Amino acid sequence: MMAEVKSSRVKVPSLLTVVSSKPTAPGRVHKFTALDHAMGFHTGHIVFYYRRNPIRDGASMENDLDNLRISLSELLCLYPPVTGRLGRGADGNWEVKCNDAGVRMLKANVCATLDEWLRYANAAEERDLTVWEDLPDDPHIWSPFRIQINDFNCGGLAVAISFTHMHADFTSATLLIKSWAEIHRHEPVAHPPIFNLPSVINESAAYRRSSSMFSETNSEFEIPSVRMGRATFKFSEAKIRQCLSKVHESCPDATPFDVLAALFWSKITRLKSPACDDDNKCSLSMCIDLRKRERDSIPYGYFGNALHFSKLSVNAEELQSDRLAYIAGLVHQHVGSIRDEEFWANVAWLESHKKEGGQYPPPFQLFGCELTCLSMENTISSEGSFTYAAMFKQNEKPIHVSYHIGNVGGEGLILVMPSPEEGLARIVMVTLPEEQIVKLCEDQTILGLQPSMLLNGKQ
Amino acid sequence: MPQILPDFSSSVKLKYVKLGYQYLVNHILTFLLVPIMAGVVLEILRLGPEEMLNIWRSLHFDLLQVLFSSFLIIFIATVYFMSKPRSVYLVDYACYKPPVTCRVPFSTFMEHSRLILKDSPKSVDFQMRILERSGLGEETCLPPAIHYIPPNPTMEDARAEAETVIFAAIDSLMKKTGLKPKDIDILIVNCSLFSPTPSLSAMVINKYKLRSNIKSFNLSGMGCSAGIISIDLARDLLQVYPNSYALVVSTEIITPNYYKGNERAMLLPNCLFRMGGAAILLSNKRREKSRAKYRLVHVVRTHKGADDKAYRCVYEQEDPQGKVGINLSKDLMVIAGEALKSNITTIGPLVLPASEQLLFLFTLIGRKIFNPKWKPYIPDFKQAFEHFCIHAGGRAVIDELQKNLQLSAEHVEASRMTLHRFGNTSSSSLWYELNYIEAKGRMKKGARVWQIAFGSGFKCNSAVWKCNRTIKAPMEGPWQDCIDRYPVHIPEVVKL
Repeated sequence: MMAEVKSSRVKVPSLLTVVSSKPTAPGRVHKFTALDHAMGFHTGHIVFYYRRNPIRDGASMENDLDNLRISLSELLCLYPPVTGRLGRGADGNWEVKCNDAGVRMLKANVCATLDEWLRYANAAEERDLTVWEDLPDDPHIWSPFRIQINDFNCGGLAVAISFTHMHADFTSATLLIKSWAEIHRHEPVAHPPIFNLPSVINESAAYRRSSSMFSETNSEFEIPSVRMGRATFKFSEAKIRQCLSKVHESCPDATPFDVLAALFWSKITRLKSPACDDDNKCSLSMCIDLRKRERDSIPYGYFGNALHFSKLSVNAEELQSDRLAYIAGLVHQHVGSIRDEEFWANVAWLESHKKEGGQYPPPFQLFGCELTCLSMENTISSEGSFTYAAMFKQNEKPIHVSYHIGNVGGEGLILVMPSPEEGLARIVMVTLPEEQIVKLCEDQTILGLQPSMLLNGKQ
Repeated sequence: MPQILPDFSSSVKLKYVKLGYQYLVNHILTFLLVPIMAGVVLEILRLGPEEMLNIWRSLHFDLLQVLFSSFLIIFIATVYFMSKPRSVYLVDYACYKPPVTCRVPFSTFMEHSRLILKDSPKSVDFQMRILERSGLGEETCLPPAIHYIPPNPTMEDARAEAETVIFAAIDSLMKKTGLKPKDIDILIVNCSLFSPTPSLSAMVINKYKLRSNIKSFNLSGMGCSAGIISIDLARDLLQVYPNSYALVVSTEIITPNYYKGNERAMLLPNCLFRMGGAAILLSNKRREKSRAKYRLVHVVRTHKGADDKAYRCVYEQEDPQGKVGINLSKDLMVIAGEALKSNITTIGPLVLPASEQLLFLFTLIGRKIFNPKWKPYIPDFKQAFEHFCIHAGGRAVIDELQKNLQLSAEHVEASRMTLHRFGNTSSSSLWYELNYIEAKGRMKKGARVWQIAFGSGFKCNSAVWKCNRTIKAPMEGPWQDCIDRYPVHIPEVVKL
């Protein structure tokens, strides 16, 4: 159950359960939506790195943990579905019985300093910082959320959370940690969780869309046959600005996501063989978080999956030419044209494909079955991103935050994440077969933007 | 109503007869004195003042006789006052409130049980059945070391728990009473299952820098009734040392005693015992009389250890795998009932009003002489006490005592609610119960409280307190934030 101790630098000495400070009212059940069920194959993992242990005041680790646990217990009062346990309801669908059982918390020690780790640890070692478990067949005593507190030699700290993607997406989990940090600082919670989607099922949309991206997605789980590698590129604000100025003429409103997605898509496609499908088109699966994109859309506080998947296709020649501005423009247009109705149409499609007795279809491999790109732009504003607002101590931002998805397919995943530098700076985390990663890290255009490479293993 | 009375015992008329009988017998002296006083007054009035003066002069008192008589009176008065035992006052007490991070809901407990005992599903089911019927709530607390999967408590963890619980209780008591560490003359700490060297009392002396000539005692191994044994010891010491303060600390340290095996009879304490502790300040100083909460009236201790079955009823031993745990035998309730009867027989004559004692005597004579088939009369203890604190050892204990003593639901409410909110905190549970009654604003001046505790050995100990001043609610204490939610209805079986 715990990480195999090969020659890992991470030692996990103990495991316990943290419960909420007030008991949950009994009998509450949280049902998952159709989209939650569709995401059930994947897992999510986030690691927040802090330079200084935010709660160490010269006291021992034991007391630190207790200090963090007090604020965590208070936080968990707001999240009854997080402390509950998964089970299948009468209709065969997954639901959470809010039985107050708590979340697992692990304490780990890392035999490295923070800087050493961020420079030289590889993806496999970073995996040890969180718990990687798939949903078991019988999850009634399995904790869907696991929090791991990793103590570094130099006094740094990494707070890691892992969860089933059926339960939450990156934004919800980020807001959970941010709310925990706010409670720890004794400040009011900015985005208290909401567990029910506004029930706006656009009936006409359901009939309009006879197929959805789900119908084209693989529902057979393909565990990649090659070893997957990971690379993390940190781009500074100056370089992104430079990049944006280059595409400014054709696409004046381009966001950093548009530019970076376009860049990496074109570069990665070149490394693949075959580079495109039969009718000479290359596709990118786009994953957008739909929160608050429109005035009355899903609120930030919604705890669950609010992701929309869509496909963008271009001709192979256009992609492989170096017309970055053009590709970025296509991406921008595509992202801009996504409306909430499409999200609800997808949901309606899933609802209409229920089995006898009301059970939702089995989950899909949405990440990596095709090259997928995930955007978190809607959580980044001029005042900063949610991710880097998770400060356990006043003004002590995390120095880095890593996002991982579990069970990614062999085609790969591009995550465009916020950067501690804020503003236009971004961090791009790419998961690809190992040999493609090596080649990608040598690409001249990317290197021309002078990214700093993090977590790339010993050189 | 006792069985010996005729069938129309529910009739209202009989209730008034019983009331009249009680009033008559309990105030018999007054009733006898009234006609005598009336006669004397009438006689005086008849004689008139001059006659009175003549009778006085005829008595021929001389100086020697007067002096002698007055010295005799003074001497008798002095002997009487000197031989009266010193009153022992309970100045105040404080109970430990565990932090919310130590809370153990049922689902977490069962999950941990399943993960740790994955090879013994029958033991896990047994634990679940116990927990469902235990009468505990979702807010009871276990010490931090037990929250780990698997729990691996070290001696350091046990000491940490002891320090947290005991120091918090004593700090709270000192704040409430303004007690200075240098004022403590007697220190008694009781903790049954954890007895390190140096002792817990030495730990307290070290932390608070108590005086070097302090009389300190550490009682261990005496079970859940050790709280009352400590009070008894304090009382005896306070008879010997005038003008003193005695600090009594009652607690049970759970960390080292969590049973790690899978024998069913030994898993029971894991389900019921929870973190808790209390610190009590006793004194025999006269000036504490004004602010003391209670005065100790009686302590009655009964030990059934001479009987082998009673001795082996709660027995610490190793299971076949060598893991140490406490084995509770199946006839625990029967033995508890007998111990209770023994205790009641001793305490009855001390506390019961004359009416109940006479009834008991008549029934006893009747059974011996007239008809042995008459049911023994169970004295009505509700007439002797306003409040009952029954050690919250488990739901079965409270049910049994409620039945035996014919108590109403309100009388045992304090015990049941303490079991629900704090679990079985062993020797300190009596103090949580007393605190509940105070927090509910039910403690009025002159109320009498009966604390009963059972313990391994097998012992049944009781203490009787009389309330010295009305205690106002709301007040600080472990019930502060949840008293408004109580009493709650505790279902027979909680579905897990």
